[in-house]
Amino acid sequence: MTHANSSRIQEYIGDPLSDSPEVGREKLEEIFQDIQADIRFDHELNGCLNCGICTATCPAAHYYDFSPREIVQLLWTENLEGIYDAMQEKIWACAQCYTCAARCPFENSPGGLIMLMREAAIKHGMESAKNVLRPFSRVMLKLISTGNQLSPDMINADGFPDWGPNISKVDAPLKILRQAIPMPTLNTTATAWEVNLTTSVELYTIWEETGVLKQLETIDENLYDVILDIMDEKREDLEDWEDEQD
Amino acid sequence: MNTGNGNNGERFTGHGSEWRDSNLKPEEAQIATAWVEQVINKRSMETNKDRVKDVRDEMWQLEKDGEIVVHRINDEHQPRIAKTIYGWDKKVPTTQLWHHKSCGQCGNIPGYPASLLWLMNEMDIKYLDETDQTSCTAWNYHGSGIGNIESLAAVFLRNFHQAYVSARAQGLPDGYFYPLVHCGTSFGNYKEVRAYLIHSAPLREKVKKVLAKLGRLVDGKLLIPEEVVHYSEWVHMMRSDIAQRQTIDVSNIRATIHPACHVYKMVPQDAIYDDNILGGNRVAVSTGIMQELGTQVIDYSTWYDCCGFGFRHIISEREFTRSFAIDRKIKVAVEEANSDVMIGHDTGCITTLDKNQWIGKAVGKGYSLPVLADIQFAALACGAHPYKIVQSHWHASATETLMEKMGIDWQAKKLEFEAYLKEVEAGKIESLYDPRLAITSGPGYQRIESK
Repeated sequence: MTHANSSRIQEYIGDPLSDSPEVGREKLEEIFQDIQADIRFDHELNGCLNCGICTATCPAAHYYDFSPREIVQLLWTENLEGIYDAMQEKIWACAQCYTCAARCPFENSPGGLIMLMREAAIKHGMESAKNVLRPFSRVMLKLISTGNQLSPDMINADGFPDWGPNISKVDAPLKILRQAIPMPTLNTTATAWEVNLTTSVELYTIWEETGVLKQLETIDENLYDVILDIMDEKREDLEDWEDEQD
Repeated sequence: MNTGNGNNGERFTGHGSEWRDSNLKPEEAQIATAWVEQVINKRSMETNKDRVKDVRDEMWQLEKDGEIVVHRINDEHQPRIAKTIYGWDKKVPTTQLWHHKSCGQCGNIPGYPASLLWLMNEMDIKYLDETDQTSCTAWNYHGSGIGNIESLAAVFLRNFHQAYVSARAQGLPDGYFYPLVHCGTSFGNYKEVRAYLIHSAPLREKVKKVLAKLGRLVDGKLLIPEEVVHYSEWVHMMRSDIAQRQTIDVSNIRATIHPACHVYKMVPQDAIYDDNILGGNRVAVSTGIMQELGTQVIDYSTWYDCCGFGFRHIISEREFTRSFAIDRKIKVAVEEANSDVMIGHDTGCITTLDKNQWIGKAVGKGYSLPVLADIQFAALACGAHPYKIVQSHWHASATETLMEKMGIDWQAKKLEFEAYLKEVEAGKIESLYDPRLAITSGPGYQRIESK
């Protein structure tokens, strides 16, 4: 498979009211090239006639200053300043439902393109990405350290007061309620299911080899340090167990 | 300004303040928009594409070329054939299933997988529920952007390889168990990732190195599943068998279906449709089982909308999530469809629609609509215990009103469950399967030969 690596628009097209771009041209090009270099880019961007069917069916467009049509247009016309601007806030409005992708007559995937832009925002350590992701750090900690995204002890009335007074309509300690689920893998509180130690350690190798830890370090150094500690601890636990077998 | 949309002046058009209503009379508006309704509510909206290819053709060619190994669905898996949106065949295995659990379901709505396993026990379906699996990691990815195509592909291949070799722990051959994916996002993500793996040699090359490090190759090659199968597809293909076990008449129940975006909008060419189910204009899963059980499935105008989950939004932009869930789904299902229950087939949707009703009272939108997964409703209709199996106490929505309409004495069942909790406290814990089977290697593993 080949993918595009050249710009269709060579001349600078920017905001005519602005004397200079907020960020240097070189940086803008670098960001765009990162987005464009992903193998998914050419599958997810095939052209655009501005029909707007994506925006018409977009849930986020109901509530935010966000339009998937605009995102596709920015990428299609290679409007580097516009792309950079959209990466400050707009890309984080998308709810990732892929309704836009299902409906697009050109088989574009605006939702998929948004993911490439989010990845680029992280890679370049944009402050906007750091701010947006700060409240999500507990989820990232759980996922990267255990391989589970959500755990029963994360869902509590303090964390989710808008979900109503009862997390469970039967009043009993969480541990007992979890033991009363008739699947032994689910008799847990700190992970959604019991994850084998060897499984977690395999996952750490995936994170390391695919650059996920690097992403994490860029976006949240403290979280990165905490996760490294957990990884070391679990690897040691596994080594100890393996030594016991010998 | 009263816009006449019943939203007390609130606008959800996204057009900005310069927008003006056309003030058409209702009959004029009907004429003006009739063509839209004729198009948008039809399956043709999804199929009117030029370049759709069946990725499986390329997959078989890659296997012939010696690039990959395909995990096949064989006769031993007793497959049934479904038709996808383009009329293509899709093999759905019905037994020897490896449960690929959902972190959101297991963490938050555990009656969802428990109901599935309970029904499988009722039907003598062979399965394995084990600890050697991670989540697909796609919830985090779609919410945060942490992750990438290589990490998603490596996790997919790693988990599916484990499904392939898992039966070794019981002295059974490789490929014995076939993965059944519980989560809609995992299902959509895995299908998307499988397509990219098949299309892209550079991606295969990169990921192969990672899988080699993990010892997760088959004959030195990547293992790709013949089909990625969602549990709702299993339910759909087994719907007649499930209905044969029904003990409760549910013909008085008005059900609305929320089809999950990642089940049928993500890689839509793989979604199952049936001309006999809502004219083939809606994805068939969930509607099929609800009709088979005898409920009245009511169509509603916002059926196509997502639930508002948003991945990151449900955690840290909850105003969007709850507003969308209430205004675009719950309110419509209650006011327009007079629904007794909303049925879904995905983790995030059930969570969003179930949990985000209570807060509506703060703005005078005190709608109350029970929300369950299709398999939970099916289990209830087949006599499953509402608390021990369906675990309805974890649902914030008013599942009690649904149970009353079904003739289930939920108060008595709740007392039974509370008594059972005392036994649990004393260490008498019931399980749907032999707990020793859950660990297939590593710490805690004990070999148990399969009978």
